[in-house]
Amino acid sequence: MSARSERVLNHAILGVFAVIAVFPMIGVVAQALKLPGQVDFSTFGTAWREGHFGTYLRNSVIVTGVTVVLATVLSIMAGYALGTMRFRGAQALFLLFLAGLTIPTETVVVPLYFDLRSVGLDNTYAGLIMPQVAMSVAFGTFWMRAYFRSVPPSLLEAARIDGASSWTTLWRVLVPVGRPAILTMIVLTTMWTWNEFLLPLVIISSDEGLRTAPLGLSFFQGAHKTDYSLLMAGALIIAAPIVIVYVFLQRQFIAGMLSGAIKE
Amino acid sequence: MPTLRSRGAVAAAAALVTALAAACAPGSSDDKPESKAPAAVSTDVAKAGNVTLTVWDQEVQGGLKEQIEKLNAQFQAKYPNVKINRVSRSFTDLQKTLRLALSGGNPPDVVEANQGYASMAQYVKAGMLLPLDSYDQVYGWKKRFPKGLTDLNSVTDDGKLIGSGKLYGVSLNGEIVGLYYNKEKLAKLGIQPPKTWAEFDQALATAKGKGEVPIAFGNVEKLPAMQLYGVLQDGQTGKEAVRKLVFGSGGSWTDAPNVQAAQKLADWAKAGYFTKDANSIKWDDTPANFAKGQGVFMFGGTWWAPDLNDRMKDKVGFMLPPPAQAGAPTATMGGESLPWSITSKSKHADVAAAYINFITSPQAMDVAVEAGSLPVLPASKQPDAPLLKEVASAWTELSKNDGTTPYLDYATPTFTDAFGGPLQELVAGKTTPQQAMKKAQDDYSAFQKKK
Amino acid sequence: MSGSKTPALEGGRPPGEPRRIGWLYVLPALLVYGAFLLWPLVRGAQFSLYHWDGLGTATWAGLSNYTATWSDPVLRGAFGHLLVLVAFYAVLPCCIAFVLVGAISRTRIRGLTFFRTVLFLPQVVAMVAVAVAWQWVYSADGPVNTVLGWLHALGLPDWRRGWLGDFTFALPAVGLVGTWVGIGLALVLFLAGAQKIPRELYEAARIDGAGPVREFLAVTLPGLRRELAVALTLTTIMAIRNFDLIYMATGGGPGDATKAPAYEVYNRTFNTGEVGLGCAIGVTLAVLAFAATAGIGRLVEGRDA
Repeated sequence: MSARSERVLNHAILGVFAVIAVFPMIGVVAQALKLPGQVDFSTFGTAWREGHFGTYLRNSVIVTGVTVVLATVLSIMAGYALGTMRFRGAQALFLLFLAGLTIPTETVVVPLYFDLRSVGLDNTYAGLIMPQVAMSVAFGTFWMRAYFRSVPPSLLEAARIDGASSWTTLWRVLVPVGRPAILTMIVLTTMWTWNEFLLPLVIISSDEGLRTAPLGLSFFQGAHKTDYSLLMAGALIIAAPIVIVYVFLQRQFIAGMLSGAIKE
Repeated sequence: MPTLRSRGAVAAAAALVTALAAACAPGSSDDKPESKAPAAVSTDVAKAGNVTLTVWDQEVQGGLKEQIEKLNAQFQAKYPNVKINRVSRSFTDLQKTLRLALSGGNPPDVVEANQGYASMAQYVKAGMLLPLDSYDQVYGWKKRFPKGLTDLNSVTDDGKLIGSGKLYGVSLNGEIVGLYYNKEKLAKLGIQPPKTWAEFDQALATAKGKGEVPIAFGNVEKLPAMQLYGVLQDGQTGKEAVRKLVFGSGGSWTDAPNVQAAQKLADWAKAGYFTKDANSIKWDDTPANFAKGQGVFMFGGTWWAPDLNDRMKDKVGFMLPPPAQAGAPTATMGGESLPWSITSKSKHADVAAAYINFITSPQAMDVAVEAGSLPVLPASKQPDAPLLKEVASAWTELSKNDGTTPYLDYATPTFTDAFGGPLQELVAGKTTPQQAMKKAQDDYSAFQKKK
Repeated sequence: MSGSKTPALEGGRPPGEPRRIGWLYVLPALLVYGAFLLWPLVRGAQFSLYHWDGLGTATWAGLSNYTATWSDPVLRGAFGHLLVLVAFYAVLPCCIAFVLVGAISRTRIRGLTFFRTVLFLPQVVAMVAVAVAWQWVYSADGPVNTVLGWLHALGLPDWRRGWLGDFTFALPAVGLVGTWVGIGLALVLFLAGAQKIPRELYEAARIDGAGPVREFLAVTLPGLRRELAVALTLTTIMAIRNFDLIYMATGGGPGDATKAPAYEVYNRTFNTGEVGLGCAIGVTLAVLAFAATAGIGRLVEGRDA
């Protein structure tokens, strides 16, 4: 086989699988727009109004935003200590965080619900945010520790000679240098939090005004079983934000997943 | 430093054990909500100050949605200090979420809690619903509704017996599971609406022979097959036997007539009388398909009538399932729609009671008729559309004969899965009637023992 | 490494002196992690030892909820379904991706970034939206049945059916959604790994006269061990945590045909009021997830755990 025909074959194989990967989504878009035959954006308007997707997206933005900010700060601090400092119990702490990477949401969601309920945190943003911070912190600490361990010791040495405190060293020296690693972490945490379904399904049991986007879609499906184009429009609305971020930051997404992120 | 390390491990283990022991066992003692004395009930909603009443209902379709929107608007116009926060979701979604919401810290004020051992009885046992007896003494609900209807919404404190104990809800709509038929198709096939089961069987065979879908059927949710089975069961055995069986006071699901009903279902499935791949068609898609002309007959609840009336106009008819002999009284599943109940944690119980009184009042029954739905009590108005007239007269006839039997999913908390699952297998030809009924009985007797 | 008591556990040498302040940095993360992940885990284990309907009072159950996970035929079936799902979610995508990578790793690929982006896309779409899309794909007039209809018109048997409502095909149909999600991940992983394999190895193999198959076995496969481990781990965990899709698309039906343990955790706890049993299934799932992670790493990479 010549190199040229081999290259054509390679692209053909990749092309076929690329088509398979996007096919259901193209179908979704076509259904939502009522293609072929017409282009009708009105389904989006109907879905938006009847499905309250504006509220759902706002809630998802709030929950995801707060979760990601909190998890990022906590993970950077913990990863910094575990990656650059030596203190008793550091190794045990690291293993403890590592163990959290494999805990499925399904395992903790039931006790979480009952315990959050008894302290009045069910149907609140806090009840939805804090468990997701905890899950993200398990991954984030693992991830940031790996980054801080890869920092050249000379950098830390130089900061110390300049008389910088550990706090200043972290935020003024290491965090700016580590932007790519941090961005990857943020991107992954954002995706996981945005797409999370089981936790809001259970925690947001009665307050319709706090539903996140995926939860909203599931109720939308309950009410509009028969209307595929409307349902598809709803699915597009909730998937779009992450897909858009992905298109721009696909390198970070893929790099993060490839490095063996054990979650999901 | 092995000693230190192991000491640390021991300390950690000890701490964990202490924590576990200190953590209270799940669950709390069940304290029953006390109902206040009738004298303490305030019926003056206007004096209640600004109140937001959160109401969960399942009135999402056609006329049912319209009637409740109208009633809510009227109530708010009458009492401008009350704002109704209406949360509506499909029956299936409401079933899935209500349990979680009721046990949460801040449940809605008014909910439509389904009757039966799977729902209302459990909520009552856990003290989540407010007994309405004192409100009944003020508003006179037991005088407004016949005893058969208030019994369905009554449960004993321990949740063990439906039909006695305190009153926990009142209903707005009547319900029958009956037989819809496509008039155009019947005319084309040259058949009359069946007067007996034998005639019906013949009609099905004729329809099948002419290449029609005899019965529109969608059964993803498992409940549709249970309703269809219930109709068949009512055709095979007496209404009293069904009532006793469902409410747990005698009989077995493996009794001969009950197995025969399953056999009939299996025979129909085998003869190809149902929509193809019924187990993969959603319940709510069934009337939509029927309206599009897929199906000569369709078993379904009167809750579909307003929607079908809009879609099919005078092409659709409704009747009670045929009796064994022509002219004999029929029994079928139905009764009243989901009752409106007040949660025990509601801070505005008086306002909530006034609300459910308002939406089940004689005037409300008229609003129901105007919206095209079936009121549970006779209204002063009559519907105009032919289909709705047929529904109303079927309801009158059934009430006159005392012919309603309870829905089968009332029987146990797990019945939809435990019996609905085997019925799906029966529809798919994967099991025998005997096996399906045995599975139902297994679940049923396990629940009776636990109760 | 002076002063280190346990060099084996210490790994590489962290720079700087021992600093107690490290605890202060870890503390906030530890508190949140402990309170909202570890504590629920402990409580879940505790709940799993009780019979509780979630409403009333709990009674001590000992280990009976765990024995029920194996003796209850529905739950045993659910764990059986999990095995099938792992085959579809993890094994199948890895096999397919391997074959493809074997076929295309011999040359450089132009436009790799584009293909990567597209192939990886299913990973980032919310499972809930994926479920909505695939219900349409499998629906009565969906693309699958349409294509089968064309084949039928060409004289083949009529294979059209309601896929998600069919006792035989519902589980494989759900599984194929997982294959669809997993294939892109595995392919992207393997492609990235294959690009890192030194060109010289391929050239050497070619000079030795190795054909595509031997080249694959001798060069590509050994070079991709780590990627294989990651892909298998991620997709297996995805299969274990298969709640969203089943909740949205089948609800465990028809009958019990697509009931998976992750769905049963929710179903038993919140629908049928068997909270202790739900927690026992949840704990079992955590053990399985942990075993899968540790086991696959050891099996594929030969690394010590």
